[in-house]
Amino acid sequence: MDPVTLAVLDNRLRAIVEEMGEAMLRTSYSQILNSSRDFSIALCDAQCRLVAQADHIPVHVGAMPWAAKAIAEAFPNPVEGDTYLLNDPYFGGSHLPDLTIVIPVFAESALRFWSVVRAHHSDIGGATHGGYNPGATEIWQEGVRIPPIRLGEGGTLRDDLIRMLATNTRIPRDFTGDLMAMIGAARLGEQRLKPLLAKYGADGLEAAVSAILDLSEKHARRILAAWPDGEWRGEAFLDDDGFDRVDVAIRARVVKQGDSLTVDLSESDPQTTGFVNSSYPNMRSAVAMAFAFLLDPEVAKNDGAFRPIEVIAREGTVVWAKPGAPVTMCTSHCSNEIVEAIIRALQHCCPERAMGGWGRRFRVAITGQDARRPGRRFVWHLFQARPGGGGSAGGDGWSTSGEWHSAGGLKFGSVEMAEARFPLLFESHEYRPGSAGDGQFRGGFGGRLSLKVESDGPCRANTAGDGVRHGAAGMCGGEDGKPHHYVLRRTDGTERVLKTKEVGLTINPGDRVIVEAGGGGGWGDPAKRDPAARERDAAEGLV
Amino acid sequence: MLTYRIGIDVGGTFPDVVGIASDGSQTLAKAASTPADQSEGVVNGLANLAKALGLDLATLLGRTERIVHGTTVATNALLEKKGARLALLTTEGHRDVIEMREGLKPERYNMRMPAPAPLVPRRLRLPVAERLRADGSVLTPLDPASLAAAIEAAKAEGVEAVAIAFLHAWAQPVHENQAAEAVRAALPGVFVTTSAEVLPQIKEFERFSTTAVNAYVGPVVSRYLAKLAGRLEGAGYAGPLFVILSHGGIAPVEEAARLAVGTALSGPAGGVAAAVALAKEGLGQDLITFDMGGTSTDIALVVGGEAALGRGREVGGERIALESLDIVTLGAGGGSIGHLGPGGTLQVGPRSAGAVPGPACYGQGGTEPTVTDANLVLGYLDPANFLGGAKTLDLEAAQAAVARLAAQLGIPPLDCAAGIHALVNARMADGVRVATVRRGVDPRDSALLAFGGAAGLHATAVARELGLKRAAVPLFAAGLSAWGMLHTDLRYELAQSAVGAGGIPADAELRRLFDSLESQGRSRMAGWYQGEVTARRSADMRYGEQVFEIAVPLDGIAWDGPDLAGQLRAAFHARHRALFTYDLPEEEVVLVNARVAVVGALPMGEAARREGASGPAAPLGTRRIAIDGMVQEAPVFGFDALAAGQEIAGPALIESATTTVLLRPGDAARMDGRGWLDIALT
Repeated sequence: MDPVTLAVLDNRLRAIVEEMGEAMLRTSYSQILNSSRDFSIALCDAQCRLVAQADHIPVHVGAMPWAAKAIAEAFPNPVEGDTYLLNDPYFGGSHLPDLTIVIPVFAESALRFWSVVRAHHSDIGGATHGGYNPGATEIWQEGVRIPPIRLGEGGTLRDDLIRMLATNTRIPRDFTGDLMAMIGAARLGEQRLKPLLAKYGADGLEAAVSAILDLSEKHARRILAAWPDGEWRGEAFLDDDGFDRVDVAIRARVVKQGDSLTVDLSESDPQTTGFVNSSYPNMRSAVAMAFAFLLDPEVAKNDGAFRPIEVIAREGTVVWAKPGAPVTMCTSHCSNEIVEAIIRALQHCCPERAMGGWGRRFRVAITGQDARRPGRRFVWHLFQARPGGGGSAGGDGWSTSGEWHSAGGLKFGSVEMAEARFPLLFESHEYRPGSAGDGQFRGGFGGRLSLKVESDGPCRANTAGDGVRHGAAGMCGGEDGKPHHYVLRRTDGTERVLKTKEVGLTINPGDRVIVEAGGGGGWGDPAKRDPAARERDAAEGLV
Repeated sequence: MLTYRIGIDVGGTFPDVVGIASDGSQTLAKAASTPADQSEGVVNGLANLAKALGLDLATLLGRTERIVHGTTVATNALLEKKGARLALLTTEGHRDVIEMREGLKPERYNMRMPAPAPLVPRRLRLPVAERLRADGSVLTPLDPASLAAAIEAAKAEGVEAVAIAFLHAWAQPVHENQAAEAVRAALPGVFVTTSAEVLPQIKEFERFSTTAVNAYVGPVVSRYLAKLAGRLEGAGYAGPLFVILSHGGIAPVEEAARLAVGTALSGPAGGVAAAVALAKEGLGQDLITFDMGGTSTDIALVVGGEAALGRGREVGGERIALESLDIVTLGAGGGSIGHLGPGGTLQVGPRSAGAVPGPACYGQGGTEPTVTDANLVLGYLDPANFLGGAKTLDLEAAQAAVARLAAQLGIPPLDCAAGIHALVNARMADGVRVATVRRGVDPRDSALLAFGGAAGLHATAVARELGLKRAAVPLFAAGLSAWGMLHTDLRYELAQSAVGAGGIPADAELRRLFDSLESQGRSRMAGWYQGEVTARRSADMRYGEQVFEIAVPLDGIAWDGPDLAGQLRAAFHARHRALFTYDLPEEEVVLVNARVAVVGALPMGEAARREGASGPAAPLGTRRIAIDGMVQEAPVFGFDALAAGQEIAGPALIESATTTVLLRPGDAARMDGRGWLDIALT
């Protein structure tokens, strides 16, 4: 294949996934999609190899081919006009709130591509609103399970099926609107691939795809080859599973040899009762995410780039739960800990590329009544007071930009808008001094929020998250960031520390939620920190 | 005696000065670039224009009725981080708003990217004890002691500007006004600006950031405009001086200095204004502007004869939430370098050869092949006659640069040049496609309007790649931005948030809100202009707890009619349906911002028509070009000599002193008497 055509097609395929992402952003209904952009877009070839993926949420990188594979296995003879859907983490999905639409693309009467769209839905049924159920001990308590199904054929959709699924969610309108946006984006991918297939021929395009994947593999291997060979181990801990387990370990043994990498997670702790277990595709995706973070940002995230990694894991561990176990938290936890364990191992191999740990996720959702809007229940999700990003050889970490799995891709909303629309007063919302892990380059600061609840009558709150025992890891001699510390301060002055996995907490009018988010991990020996940078942090009131 | 209107664009490397005489004749002059002081270049360009018209400068300026200026002073201050030293006075407990940037970081997989330094460091973000609620009521009165301490701290740091941005000042500016008064009294000569006066709009990050940018560029822009006005006055000009703003309308210098942040996109605004003017002249209602320069390409959409506006603009990494033309900038242009990418494929850009060393063919030491070098090697440019003969190009240097890359790729040099050309076309097309999808526009119904020095060689390929049926290149392609400045109106944009716990305010409150905005706008406009003034109302609305608002034009609303809120709701549902294919009639509708654009129409003068009497012009000669894998002789025409109605079939080249148009096989061009080359694509 001549290099010019290859370059044109490589650009074209990447532009198609970007365009599909824009269509998704514009047409999706729920806030979690159009503001937080918690969705991913990919094109896979007929062999379910990842050809191109848009840069949305890193935790989905490399996860999409598993969905395509699950569909291909369930439906060995797809035909043009079919639309497939799944969400089940034991059949190609990551966790139940993430629905995946898969559309086959045909040319010259043979399957050539899969157009894949995954999006996090604001509700998927189950015992708690929004899909995060810290009390779940089995997946059936987490929501509706959708194994690979044919949602439509001949270009039309099964309305009855869609209605059945929508009926099982709390906000059918959001569910249906977002599902339609996903299908529209996947169809756009099909429409854009067709002219390419016609112009370059199905075989020509396939040859180009193979060449693109090979080039990406070469690129990744060239980077790997420059690292020293060796074997290293890294460990990261989850606080707890919400039941009887504390300090659940994720253990990575990483072997770098030549231009290949083996990541062995099989020594990780056994699976847990609560929902911090990972599904297999999510674990594979977390490994791919860790690897992508260590490569150059320019490396195309496709099947080729991930060929140098071999993954070893054991079913029944927290990183790969047996069918039936709850897994909803896994796209944050234990994904983040898988990444952290791998980077901890590789900090010794490629210190200039390793970065301090990014924060952990700790959600709070509050629901109640607003005196200004009688009869309307509000549901508010905490996105403010984000944790800090990790320091790196490139400089200090980004403050309040979040967690490994989103890496600065999730936006928190306006405090003014929240006050205008919810009975909440954000008394203060600033950086949390001293939260960043020290290092030659320190971590970013977490946020600190004092939130006064001014509801009409008591509110109920749920939490879901991790990271009050373990802060984001320091790397290469850097120190860990401070862990999270969330407190509920009652009007009488009494305080209660919030746990990361609580259901049915009562918050009374006048109570305050004091959120102190963890900082990012530092990078490098703190003794090597530029004294001017220390002076600046002190002058800025951040130590 | 002829009178003149003059447009001055300093957006490019060399300032363009366009004079339009009262008989409709147009003259373009260039000036030397004077980066240290743009005003010097402006006066220099005016002198060149006078020379071209056979007048002396004082005489020309004495006969000039209007000067409109597009400036990059604010843009450059932001890009080069050379704005004023400023302090931000802000609500205690919320001083990190502008640095938190809503938790967003660009480039997901670039984990070693350092965080940008904020415009105002934390120690100059000075807390003031005060607090308003969202309904504008006072929760904590402004504490004079904390205000005095903040002013003292700003004074000790010797700041040149102070931005004042308090929470919920969009609803009630009382505390900001008190603070501003105290700052002005204590720090005379310091540029003071408040968030309520810059943008009384809810969402603190956008408002605070826009206000901080205003303080950052305010002193620089004010000084520059004062100097320019002084120089013009010294040269004999007594007429009005206007500045084109980011929204594409123009305003007097005083207004541009007050709201300096509104000039951040002044540079490229002229081109879009020109596209709107050409749409009015009959070019077509739906256009995609394609302004390809040396290092970047600007793209904007004209839909239904109007330029799209947006509010999410960043310049130099700083958020500016004012209404601005929705211009998308792609990081590729004529100077973009073709190279072997880290993945092993051919890549073009994002590195650019810039003005120095420039493309290899400029002979200034550049050794890497740029898009311009590839175009020269392919025969699309005339080495002896670049920029009307003002510059000669070194073909051998271009060939050598291309050959080096070709050897790395293992392909013949001519294929490599064709590859660079094709790849940059593909990237441009992809950029346009993503920009149009993002805005809900199907590009296939639009015509591509190409201008800027490099666009003519790529326009029809890009248009074809997009599935467009038509492209156009104005004869005046090089000076189009300056020309556009003379074809746009006075404009003043006002906004006011009106969001509460409820959905839409009651009818009486709605009328009061919009009437008050309109009368503010009209009275401000009356200070500049006595002609006919029109006002257009619109609103930013959304469903329930959705995060994004959409802009809803309110042209057909009966403001004195019954159920005003219901009318607005219906307008929103209809707009939502038009944009997103569906609406949700049962859902609560929330009005977030009321908007009014007040427009004062300026006389545009008669458009020059091209005479078709002299008959079709013959080609100047032929040139060997490589196109679509073949080397062939193509006729070369002079753009200026083409007769109205003259038709030319591709392959062909059409050259002027400022641009070259490549017609590919299948392109059929016709010279339109109104001044553009109209190209049908098959």
